[in-house]
This record gives sequence, C-alpha cells and structure tokens, in this order.
Amino acid sequence: MIAKPMKKVIRYNRSETRTAWLCLFPSVIGLLCITYLPMLASFALSLFSWNGLGELKFIGLDNYIRLFTIDTKFYASLYNTLQYAGMSVIGSIIYSMAIALLLNRRIPARGFFRAVFYLPYVLPALAVYLGWKWLYDYNHGLFNYIVKLLGGTSIKFLDSSALVTPSLALIAVWLSGNLIVIFLAGLQNVPRTYHEAAEIDGANTWQRFWMITIPCMTPIIFYNLLMSLVSSLQVITPALSLTKGGPGTGSYYMCYMLYTQAFQSHKYGYGSAVAVVLFILIAIFTAILFATSKGWIFYEGDDKE
Amino acid sequence: MTSTVIRKSSGHLASKKRQETLANILSIIALIILGLIVMFPIYWIFRSSLMSNGELYTYPPAFTPPQWRYSNYIETLKVFEYWKFLGNTMTILVPAVFGAVITATMGGYAFARLRFRGKKFLFVLCVGSMLLPSMVTLIPLFIMWAKLGMVNTYWPLILPHFCGGGAFNIFLIRQFVKTVPHELDEAATIDGCGYFRILVYIIVPAIKSAMIVVGLLKFIELWNDLLQQVTYITRRDQYTLALGLNIFKGSFNDDWSSIMCATCLSFIPGIVFYLIGQRYFVEGIVMTGMKN
Repeated sequence: MIAKPMKKVIRYNRSETRTAWLCLFPSVIGLLCITYLPMLASFALSLFSWNGLGELKFIGLDNYIRLFTIDTKFYASLYNTLQYAGMSVIGSIIYSMAIALLLNRRIPARGFFRAVFYLPYVLPALAVYLGWKWLYDYNHGLFNYIVKLLGGTSIKFLDSSALVTPSLALIAVWLSGNLIVIFLAGLQNVPRTYHEAAEIDGANTWQRFWMITIPCMTPIIFYNLLMSLVSSLQVITPALSLTKGGPGTGSYYMCYMLYTQAFQSHKYGYGSAVAVVLFILIAIFTAILFATSKGWIFYEGDDKE
Repeated sequence: MTSTVIRKSSGHLASKKRQETLANILSIIALIILGLIVMFPIYWIFRSSLMSNGELYTYPPAFTPPQWRYSNYIETLKVFEYWKFLGNTMTILVPAVFGAVITATMGGYAFARLRFRGKKFLFVLCVGSMLLPSMVTLIPLFIMWAKLGMVNTYWPLILPHFCGGGAFNIFLIRQFVKTVPHELDEAATIDGCGYFRILVYIIVPAIKSAMIVVGLLKFIELWNDLLQQVTYITRRDQYTLALGLNIFKGSFNDDWSSIMCATCLSFIPGIVFYLIGQRYFVEGIVMTGMKN
C-alpha cells in the first residue's frame, strides 16, 4: 500500500509523443549534426594530420605538442585572446550596466535613448570595423585629431601591436547595446517593494544600490558575463576584416589562428587542435564562473518554480 | 504631536521629490553626453561619406562637410554593386530567418507543452549547447559541406537555421509558450484539436510577438556575420554585402570617401529593420523573463 504511490509510472500519450518528436525533429538534427557531432569530430581531427585532400594520418598528440612547444605564435594568440576578452568583457559589462541604470530612471524619451545605445549593435560588423578604421586613422582620423587637440602626439591605434587589441576591445564595448537591453529588463524586474521597504528603514540611494539593486541583478550580471565571455573568447571578425592578425602578432587571436591554419594553410588537424584548446579554455572559464556563482548570486527564494 | 509628525514627513517627502528630480536631470544630462559620444562615430562616418578625399585629408578636419556631396553616393553606386550584394544577402537571410522562426517555434512548443520520454535529457542537451563555442565546429562543418559538394552555394548558410534556429531561440519560445494559459489548449482539445493543431491555431497566434523577436535576433545575428560568409562563399557573383564591402575596401585603398559611402549604404538596411522592429525587441527581451 505504501509502495504504490512511489512507483510512479508516467504513461505517455502516443500521439503526444509523436507530435513532440515531429516538432523537435529539426532541433534534434541541429543538435546532432551541427553541434555535438562536429564538436566530437573536432576532437578526433585534432589527432590527425590532414591537408584536406590526401589521406588522414594519425599522429596522436603531435599537433598539441607542436602547439605548446614549438609554435610561439600560439602563445601570442592565447595572450591576445585573453587580453581582448578581459578588456571587452569588463568594459562592456560596466558600460552597459551604467547606461541601463541611467535608462531605468523615470525620465522622458527613454525609448529614444535606448534606441541610440542599441543602434551600434544592429550595424553590420564589417562596416563597423571599416568605419572605425577610418576613425582610428593615424593622420586623418577623428581620435588622433582629438589627441592632438589635447596636446598629445598621434597614436598608432591599429598600427601598433601593443595597442591594436585595446583599440579593438573599445569597439566591442561600443557594440554592446544588447547587454544594455538585457540589463534594463533585469532592472525592471527588481521588486519595487524592496526599495520601498529599505527606504522606510532609512537606507540612502547608494546603500539601496549596493544592498538591493546589485544583489537582485546578480543572476543577470552572471548571464551577461558568461555569454559575453564565451563570445569574446571566440573573437575573429576584427582580425578577419581589418587587421589580418597584425601588426606583428598584435591581433592574432586563437580563432584567427584556427581559421588561417585550416583554410589558408590547409592544416585541418592542426587547426582542430587549436579549436580543442579553445574549447578547453572556454570550459575552464565557464566552470570557474559556475563554481563561484553560488557565492555571489542571489536568487529570490519565493520566485522559483 | 501628530501634526508635527505629519509636517515633518511631508517635508521629508518634498525633499525626496526634489532629490529625485535632481537625479533625473543629472541622468538625462549624462545620457545626452554619452549618447552623443556613442553616436559620434556614426555621424563622423556619415559626414566623411559626403566629402571629397581632398576635403577629408585636410587638417584640422571639418566637423560638417563643407559641401554636402550627395553625388558621392551616385558615384559609389556605380562601382559598388550595392543592390546585387543586398539581394544576395537577402537570399540568405530571408529563408534562414524564416526557417529559424518556424523550427524554433516547433521546438519551443514541444519543450513547453508536450510530455514525452527523454524530454529532460533533450532539454539539457539543448540548453547546454548554448555554452558550446560554435568556433569549435567550424572545421568539421566545413568538411561536411565540402563532402556534400555545397561549398560555394548558399546552402551551408541557410540550412543550419532550419535546424531549430539555435538553442537560445528555442528556449525563448519555450518561455513564451509557458505563459499561454493551459485552459486554451484544454478547450481546444475538447473541441477535438490535435497537438499540432493546437500549436498552429492556439499557440502561434498567442506568441506572435515572440516569433517576431526570434526573427529579429536571427536577422541581426546573420546580418553581423562575416566568418560564415567568408568561409563558404568565394565566387564574386555570390558575394554578400559584407564580402562585397571587404573587396571594395581592398580595391579602393585610400579612397576613404567612397569607402565611407559604401559603409553608410550597408548601415541602412539594419537601421531600417531595427526602427521597424524596435517595439518587439524590447518587449521580447523584457518578457523573456531572464529569471526563469
């Protein structure tokens, strides 16, 4: 008698199951054929040497050994990628959070301002980079004009290997309008009652910001942090369209290395090894974020399903 | 006693009001300054497109074009095959967006409403794929499309979007379907509707705005893409706007006036699209309810 309710057998309706699989068929194909299987294939391919035409040659871990011991450009790509990701993620999180906080006030023309800050995000990437190349121009660019107005000497933004990555990261910050919209959505979900209660208790604006707004926003900060980190570690477009990895190895990012090794040098195995290292790098960062998340993310207990 | 308390609190309230108005004014000023900074690059690009190269290379630079040379655009359109590239881009974008919206809606519906064996596992696979770096699949997918003989066609750029349109979009649709009251489905079931007809006649009309959001997000994603196009398209007559612009830049190295014209031209469709869909964007992202 007691055991009976525990043996909960779910009976699935057959026509429901059929419809479900029918509806999910495209998604399942997608998950298998364009996500998980290619991912496995990348791991497998990284153990081979292959130029795309001849025979696959199994070489074990040789690709990795070469990557970590001989290929000095690999370390440059690792460093550049981390530098780019660090700068663009921190920059865009702070920038978009600040804009979202400003936009969250009861002010006129909010829709207009939101559109202004979102606009860069809807422009095609290549055109954006081209436009910024002109802004960064050494002799005639806007930025160097401002630098000279302020009494400085012209700066080689994109033409020096030390400054190219920070310059590109600045463009990424400019492009981060979508984060603003997500932050704004989160801010509008912060319960008003919390603020009112704190106000009655005598908390000032600053205290309320740190004790209520920020804790309530931590899940969204986490989401934005994670997503922008994953995407910025995969940076390739600026290198592909503008700097071609240079000057020197200044903008030689891991994905650019992967791309050029595979599609220009036709070393598909070697390129795959770079892809696997990138995968592991992203997995490590994701794991760290998730591991620390319990410590700093605040979930409203009663709002959960 | 009571009257002093009331007076005190109303004075407190008035000062609060004043404080808030002041903060709002400061916010607006900050937003205007930041907005001008953010818009300035776009303005600068636009102003450069209306100047001759001679004017561009003078120092100090002029903040407004000395002459508004709209003819620059006419000249640029003669050498930059804008309409053809735009047509090619749309040949990829329209079916891809369509496919993503349809298949994401189907997937999201199944995850939100239908009960079947293996649903949890499949859902974890789906959400998990959001975290997987897509760059890692680039080489194997290229090899796959090459084996299928589809490199240099638009298929590798279109077909993947008919496969659920990405985990995020499936998830987004699922969240929306969950907000549709169950009573509607039940009423339809009593009326003899099957599960598929519920999707078509009940769910789709109720989540139309979410589907538009998915379409817009997909549009922007593909609109911003360069990597996939560079990888799969090499023939000039198939070039998209991005590839065309890339080539144009290469062949007009120092003709910044023309390059800026071409750049502005390729800004336009995105801006128009955004202005049309803006309402849905914000609504959609707010309604996604990132909390769940």
